[in-house]
Amino acid sequence: MDFTLNITFYVYIAAIVAYVVREIWRTKALRWVAFGVFSGALVLNTILVMTRWYEANHAPMSDKYESFVFFAWTIALVYLIMELVTIFIARVHESRLGIIGALQSLLSAWMLYSAINTDSTIKELPPALQSNWLVVHVINYFISYSALSISFSAAIIYLIYRAIYRGRAQEIVMSGSNSQLRKDVTFDKLAYISVTIGFPFLTVGLITGSIWAKGAWGTYWGWDPKETWSLISWLVYLAYLHLPMILPKTKIKKTIAPIILSIVLLVAFPVVLFTFMGMHKLPSAVDSDHIYAE
Amino acid sequence: MTKVAKPQGKKIKNDSKSWQFLCSVKLAVIIIIILAVACILGTVILQMRPPEDYVSRYGEVFGKLFLAIQFTDIFHSYWFAFLLVLLCVNLGCCTIKRWRNTVLQIGFLVTHISIIMILVGCVIDMMLGEKGGVNVYEGKSVDYYLNRADYSKVPLDFQVYCDDFIIERHPPKYRLLTFVKNKELEKFIPPKVGNKIKIPGSNYAVTVKDHYPDAEYSHEPINTSNEPGNPAIYVQMLESNHVTAEGWLLAKDRNWYNDAKRDLKIEYLWADTDEDYERLAKTVGKGTKPKLDIVIEGKNISKSVPVEVGKSIPIDGTDYVVEIKQLALDYAKRDVPLKEQSSDNPAVRVEISGPQGVETRWTFSKYPDYKDKAHQAKYKDVKLTCYVPEDFSESANGLKIVQSKDGKQTLSYIKAGKLINITDWEIDKRYDIEKTGLQMRILKYFPSHSVKREVVERSGNHEGHNHGPGEHVGTPAIFVEIEGPRGTVSDWMLANNPPKWYPDKNFALLYEQSGMAVKDYKSILRVVDGGKTVVTKTIEVNDPLKYKGYVFYQSSYDPEGERYTGLQVTRNPGIAVVYTGFILLCVGVVFIFYVKPFLRRKLKKGQKVEDYYSADEIAAEHIE
Ligand code: HEM
Repeated sequence: MDFTLNITFYVYIAAIVAYVVREIWRTKALRWVAFGVFSGALVLNTILVMTRWYEANHAPMSDKYESFVFFAWTIALVYLIMELVTIFIARVHESRLGIIGALQSLLSAWMLYSAINTDSTIKELPPALQSNWLVVHVINYFISYSALSISFSAAIIYLIYRAIYRGRAQEIVMSGSNSQLRKDVTFDKLAYISVTIGFPFLTVGLITGSIWAKGAWGTYWGWDPKETWSLISWLVYLAYLHLPMILPKTKIKKTIAPIILSIVLLVAFPVVLFTFMGMHKLPSAVDSDHIYAE
Repeated sequence: MTKVAKPQGKKIKNDSKSWQFLCSVKLAVIIIIILAVACILGTVILQMRPPEDYVSRYGEVFGKLFLAIQFTDIFHSYWFAFLLVLLCVNLGCCTIKRWRNTVLQIGFLVTHISIIMILVGCVIDMMLGEKGGVNVYEGKSVDYYLNRADYSKVPLDFQVYCDDFIIERHPPKYRLLTFVKNKELEKFIPPKVGNKIKIPGSNYAVTVKDHYPDAEYSHEPINTSNEPGNPAIYVQMLESNHVTAEGWLLAKDRNWYNDAKRDLKIEYLWADTDEDYERLAKTVGKGTKPKLDIVIEGKNISKSVPVEVGKSIPIDGTDYVVEIKQLALDYAKRDVPLKEQSSDNPAVRVEISGPQGVETRWTFSKYPDYKDKAHQAKYKDVKLTCYVPEDFSESANGLKIVQSKDGKQTLSYIKAGKLINITDWEIDKRYDIEKTGLQMRILKYFPSHSVKREVVERSGNHEGHNHGPGEHVGTPAIFVEIEGPRGTVSDWMLANNPPKWYPDKNFALLYEQSGMAVKDYKSILRVVDGGKTVVTKTIEVNDPLKYKGYVFYQSSYDPEGERYTGLQVTRNPGIAVVYTGFILLCVGVVFIFYVKPFLRRKLKKGQKVEDYYSADEIAAEHIE
């Protein structure tokens, strides 16, 4: 187990390198190399998830270690599906995805690194976790988080490009939608698309969590820290989705709007990560039943 | 229908500015952001604590401010409720204003309406719903539950029986944690007999060499020297040749034994000098008596009185009278005669009479200022502390076994507070205790008593006291060998004991139980309504029983003895509305983000987006 875990971690690291190389040289030949390395890591990660499932005899997402491994897996899966869709269905050159692949494999690698440093002994499920709602709830959340992480990466790249092309904002807006210049700075669009993919899953995750809490604890909403923070994450993305409707009506210039939206995304994903991993840092955490056991 | 929308929209557009604002996305975003910030505050500031906590935590100014603006219970505050109402109004208004009845609009309408439904359902539950809990003893029934807010009894018009309560346990698992201190490195290794395991990043290695599935510590008393470092004797009490009690008395530790039935206290005393000896053997000291300290907060009144049951103590300067009602040496056994209690958790029961009537309170010597949550204190300014000396005994008679450094060893018998006689004693001889028919014998004398602890395999069918017959699960032990910079050491480790440190104090092993031992709690519940059994169900966590709008959840159980089941009882009349809202919300968001983009292209081929899309939609969906 430990051995496969380490290998998978290094293959994710290799995928980071491959995507960086692909983005720098932008040749057709490298297109599938990066994709292949990342897919290889996904396969290894799948083996990790499956063997854990088999050994633990419960869906492998109930403690910290299992969540880290599972999250790494969904990050890779969602990104790779997105890359395939981009190339074969949307028929857009993969340079539209740019270096996102590197950032996603970095995130997967970080999750596995956390898993390596977490107690991996198999624990018995406490009664409250023995529910099918839990499985639905967690899977939804991790798919959502993976999609939202893409929007975070895209927002970063967008802001970097905007910094590079500073002073040419007007030119970008004016240039045709097929110009290379325009292509380089469509990452705000990519970020929006990722949010629209992730947000429904976030909503379903929130609702199934609430239904599960009703069955296990008798209350569908109890303002438990984890519940509250998942609501906060949801609200932040909700604000992001409604914001474009008011920005045109304000004095803010049209070219600045995507920057503001990207900054919202830059805040939003850390909120999500905090909901996922940071709950024990809260003063109110002591009374909660909802936090991964340390 | 589609056509109606336009003129209506026009009409409203001319309406007042406030209607415009109520419909606006701007207000929506403002509310969303304030809600998010409020939620953050609600987890960062501790909620629903007693007011004093806030003042002590955040200082006088901020503490008071937080209380005044309801930052101490944000989620139940008026302003939070107001925000939610405003959100509903905003959603409602914008939905009415936007109503266009086109397929593409479905998602927008459904999500917005569903959010209103969820909030309305929550309000219904808050106003009309009920929540509480009740413990049902096995074989017994209840026809009420206790309201969660004030513990008042709420009657049910049927009975709920608990026919059986079952705990299913997993066989316990154990793990071995290694810790390298200077690197802050923690790692688990399998606690199985096997090969040497190197601890990465260090030069330690661990080998598990042997394993006992069920082991225990044997505590063998030993003597470590002939100097009286820790004098101890092994004493036996006999009655007509039967040993009634026996054990070690340590002069410098637990040096007394109280024989409640015979009203006799036995003490073992050590004298370093002759003067000490004279005093200890020949005088009858008055032991310290329990006392009660009464402090009236804010009034600078404090009083210390001996605990004499029945005594009334008027507190000058106040309207209070404190009456001492009972002394218990062991609160858990407070109902048996005092003489039969051994000093464990001493407590004093008092009645405080004052302007608001009588308050009964237990005060504990080991938990000063204890207030039971279930019994609200009336007189919060009265702080009580009791002090009961460790060796306090009610016994009238005493036997002092005194031994001095230079070889004197005598027995002093005290009856009703008077010294009756003194005799010398020797090992192994029996001594009659006056006319009590009792005898005592000192079997061993260890000048330096110590205990050798050793892990031994437990044999036979010893039953653990927490388990039923046949259910005993043992405590395992492993024999580990640690290699490190100071050579190899090895030892037995019994599970769940303190960590074992390598001699350089930089490496430790901890062998402990891991994971949850409980697999499931289940109760077999039976509902009897009008004399007839109407439902029987085995409930467990995640699978409650529903009857007449009430839902009974498995929530806890009797931690000692498993005699009762703890049920949570709720009634949520709004839940259908909330759940419908949940389903609609899911449908709505999926429609907006997964269905609408495809419909848009299919439905309106050849048409310009501007023709069928509002400016807001174009902006919202980032269409160029
Ligand atoms: C999952 C939740 C939500 C989703 C998916 C959602 C989605 C949308 C969409 C797609 C629009 C554009 C409507 C159109 O022009 O076709 C919209 C508008 C709007 N939303 Fe939401 N919304 C949600 C929650 C909320 C909440 C909680 C509020 C209230 C605070 C809100 C307030 C508004 C307002 C005021 C508008 C503008 C309507 C107008 O301009 O007439 N929405 N929403």
